[in-house]
Amino acid sequence: MKTLSLALLAALSTTAFAAIDRTKKPDPDPAPAASFPDYRTETLPNGLKVFVIEDDRKPTVNFRFIIRSGTATDGAKTGTAQFVAGLLNRGTEKRDAATFAVETDSIGVRVEGAAGPDGISVAASGLTKYTDQLLDLLSDALLHPTFPEDQFVRLQRQTLSALNAEKQQPESLANKLSGKVMYGSFPYGDYLTPEAVKALKREDLAAFHHTYFLPNNASLAIVGDVKAAEILPLIQKTFGGWTKGEIPALKLPEIPQIHGLTIHLVDRPGSVQSNIIVCATGPARNFPDLPEVNVLTSTLGGGFSGRLFQNLREKHGWTYGSSCAFDYKKLAGTFEAQAETRNEVTAPAVSEILKEIARIRDEAATDKEISLQRQYNVGNYLLSLENSGRTAQRVQDIDLYGLPTDFYKTYARRMSETTPAKVQELAKKYLPTSDIAVIVVGEAKEIQPELEKIGKVVVYDQDLKPVAK
Amino acid sequence: MNATHSRLSQPPFMKLAPFAALCAALVLPLATYAADSAAPARVTLKPIKFVEYDLPNGLHVILHENHTAPVTSTYLLYHVGAKNERPDRTGFAHFFEHLMFEGSDNIPRGTIDKLISGAGGNLNASTSFDQTDYFFNVPENELKLALWIESERMLHSKIDETGVETQRKVVKEEKRMRYDNQPYGSLFEQLAKLVFAGTPYSWVPIGSVQYIDQATIEEFRDFYKTYYLPNNATLAIAGDFDLEATKKLVADYFGDIPRGPDIKRPTVEMPPQTAPVTTDVKEAKTPLNASMHAWHAVPETHPDAYALELLGSILSSGRSSRLYKRMVEKEQAALNVEAFPFLLENAGLLGVFATGQQGVSLEQLDKLIDEEVEKVKAEGVTEEEFRKALNQEEAQFASGFGTMSTRARNLARYHTFYGDTNLINTELDRYFAVKREDLQRVAKQYLTKEGVNILRYPAPEAPAAPATK
Repeated sequence: MKTLSLALLAALSTTAFAAIDRTKKPDPDPAPAASFPDYRTETLPNGLKVFVIEDDRKPTVNFRFIIRSGTATDGAKTGTAQFVAGLLNRGTEKRDAATFAVETDSIGVRVEGAAGPDGISVAASGLTKYTDQLLDLLSDALLHPTFPEDQFVRLQRQTLSALNAEKQQPESLANKLSGKVMYGSFPYGDYLTPEAVKALKREDLAAFHHTYFLPNNASLAIVGDVKAAEILPLIQKTFGGWTKGEIPALKLPEIPQIHGLTIHLVDRPGSVQSNIIVCATGPARNFPDLPEVNVLTSTLGGGFSGRLFQNLREKHGWTYGSSCAFDYKKLAGTFEAQAETRNEVTAPAVSEILKEIARIRDEAATDKEISLQRQYNVGNYLLSLENSGRTAQRVQDIDLYGLPTDFYKTYARRMSETTPAKVQELAKKYLPTSDIAVIVVGEAKEIQPELEKIGKVVVYDQDLKPVAK
Repeated sequence: MNATHSRLSQPPFMKLAPFAALCAALVLPLATYAADSAAPARVTLKPIKFVEYDLPNGLHVILHENHTAPVTSTYLLYHVGAKNERPDRTGFAHFFEHLMFEGSDNIPRGTIDKLISGAGGNLNASTSFDQTDYFFNVPENELKLALWIESERMLHSKIDETGVETQRKVVKEEKRMRYDNQPYGSLFEQLAKLVFAGTPYSWVPIGSVQYIDQATIEEFRDFYKTYYLPNNATLAIAGDFDLEATKKLVADYFGDIPRGPDIKRPTVEMPPQTAPVTTDVKEAKTPLNASMHAWHAVPETHPDAYALELLGSILSSGRSSRLYKRMVEKEQAALNVEAFPFLLENAGLLGVFATGQQGVSLEQLDKLIDEEVEKVKAEGVTEEEFRKALNQEEAQFASGFGTMSTRARNLARYHTFYGDTNLINTELDRYFAVKREDLQRVAKQYLTKEGVNILRYPAPEAPAAPATK
């Protein structure tokens, strides 16, 4: 045996030196195509749109409803959508909260609601052998929640405790304040406060559910080891009796305009690091340039090779990470560039972020850099197609945000054709010049003097109330 | 190659008539929950097929060929982690992980991410107590690139002063961001210090920053020479490749890397604990009282590991679990509670962590945890709870290994730490081999009165109200 393995070793070594040249990057094989997976679309007579994506890799199935509603439709009662989503599985006409919990846990399935700005998702997942039970639990939570008083009061109390904890969490403070600064009284800027939680009534939840949980205001994506021809009749049977209704028009306040550069500083005594978010107004999700803008944002601040990461981390060692992205919502959007830096380099880090935003507007990038970023976007999109849950989300996004139906069919090609000139043109169009809000959470006494040199500073306490100087 | 292509020609199913006909054909009633109904048969998982072998230099190779998407993941696990560090050089393994992105004799400094991003892929790495791992996800045509980079890093990674200086700063920011600036951020560090005292598990992978500052570049190079060896590594590749061609590529790129001396593994000896220990961690940023109860448990390969996992699940997994029902629902004392076995290569612990609601005392939290632990020791678990825990495990197992990257990671881990790569297909059997009585036995054996370590985070008292209003 010993002789054999030595011989084998010798053979391998020879092959190794003969076959490859270590000194050069190996050439790729021909690239695979990034084509969007096929899926089935069906619309029930009551208006419910259903998408089926068959994927037999795992013996599981996921159902995900998106109800067009969310914090944007909270109206005067901030937090309604969040409470509705949180209580859907905590008491229904057929099951009290404890029964619902036992029935889901017993077969290892999950039925959970969650509220976002433009949609409430109600998702159910489990093994395919439990599909019938899963659909029964899901339809019960979705269509027949009763928002029982005891569960409502419990959630209120829990939320008040959680809000108290969030006052100490720097990223939570930064996100809340950035929403408030960028959106003002527009509901995207609202966040839960103790007052808002106490003002909620369980009748508000029932009314919200009654208004928005309509089949013609929803989509359902089904992903898993199912056959469309078998699952669709089951869906018709389970949700066919859900009656359609009229969706009220939204009356929303104006989104405020940001003028000039202001630094909004939350004083969090004891902070050993500053959380920085540089914010500006951005487009809504369905704007026409999104694929090309992806190349722009990744050049500026995507992944490890983005300029912000290269500058703030790899050149200066100021932060563990720095990146940027547009946060696109249905009716509006924001641009956000972020970093977490130690106290003494907070102001220089803000300056460098502003500098990088200006540089990508003012100077065309090299073709080499843009070519890397094109490939990064196209390749990672290709990789993401492995995840059928992600595909389902994209299909539902087309519906929710009103995107062109061929959006993902042309997506990879458009990113792959983005030139340096296009990147600069889009930078000028979508990145801010001077109307910028900088959010910083940190130790004011250490960082404020240097920040004052960059722009006007407004200081807040951990309740996000402005502090008089 | 791209399996999704084949369905593109299928005509879209849009018309209502056939859909309604399908629905009419469905006469199956929805299942009901009869308590005495027989449990459905165990789920059949599609086997994850693989081949594995050693190169003569000791590198263990695992290949899982799968053509569902044009994606390939490489995962390189070095069997070195924080427990291999000297007590006066903690944080070394993790720091070294950062240095592995610097470059090699043939890869210029700072270009590894550019190569992978420019190929349309993504990468990352992580360090834990027992291992350091490096992973690439690339479009299938770029496998050679991934193998070239990983083999370069194993053969002759380059460690120079510039890189060391920058990463010293970056790692300090990582520590501030993840731990020092977060409420309860020191929890794991304190827990390891307490439960694993006197062993090389008593410090966490992020370590102490002063040791990284004190270390010389020679020490980093020695660490590399000692641990970054083919005979201390496992390479798993999962995805869209040709098996025979890939075997040859692996031999070409890794075959000529010389084997090194065997690794000296640390021993972990934990004398039985004879008296309970309580430690209070006082931090100004703690928003709510929180308490952790932790006991010595077993290494991950110990036969009792599975009973402990199931016990943890019965205590806190899902809203029908014991601790959730009692502490979050009934008493409304906790915001959240979790029982978690944390099992490592050579030791383990079982912890119960609860964050209190506002105004709930530490004594109250401690009393509730204690009562529930004593109860399970005295009474064991019911048949219903036991079956529920197994069903939850089954569901998790079935949904766990969907992507190529999770498959590669788990294949490598099962080989390295269990010596049985095929556990990716069979580990669930080990859960189903546990007897209900085992859960009470392990509860009694490990969750002892004298063996408990209590780690408490008191929230600072609110400032006293002024004497007069």
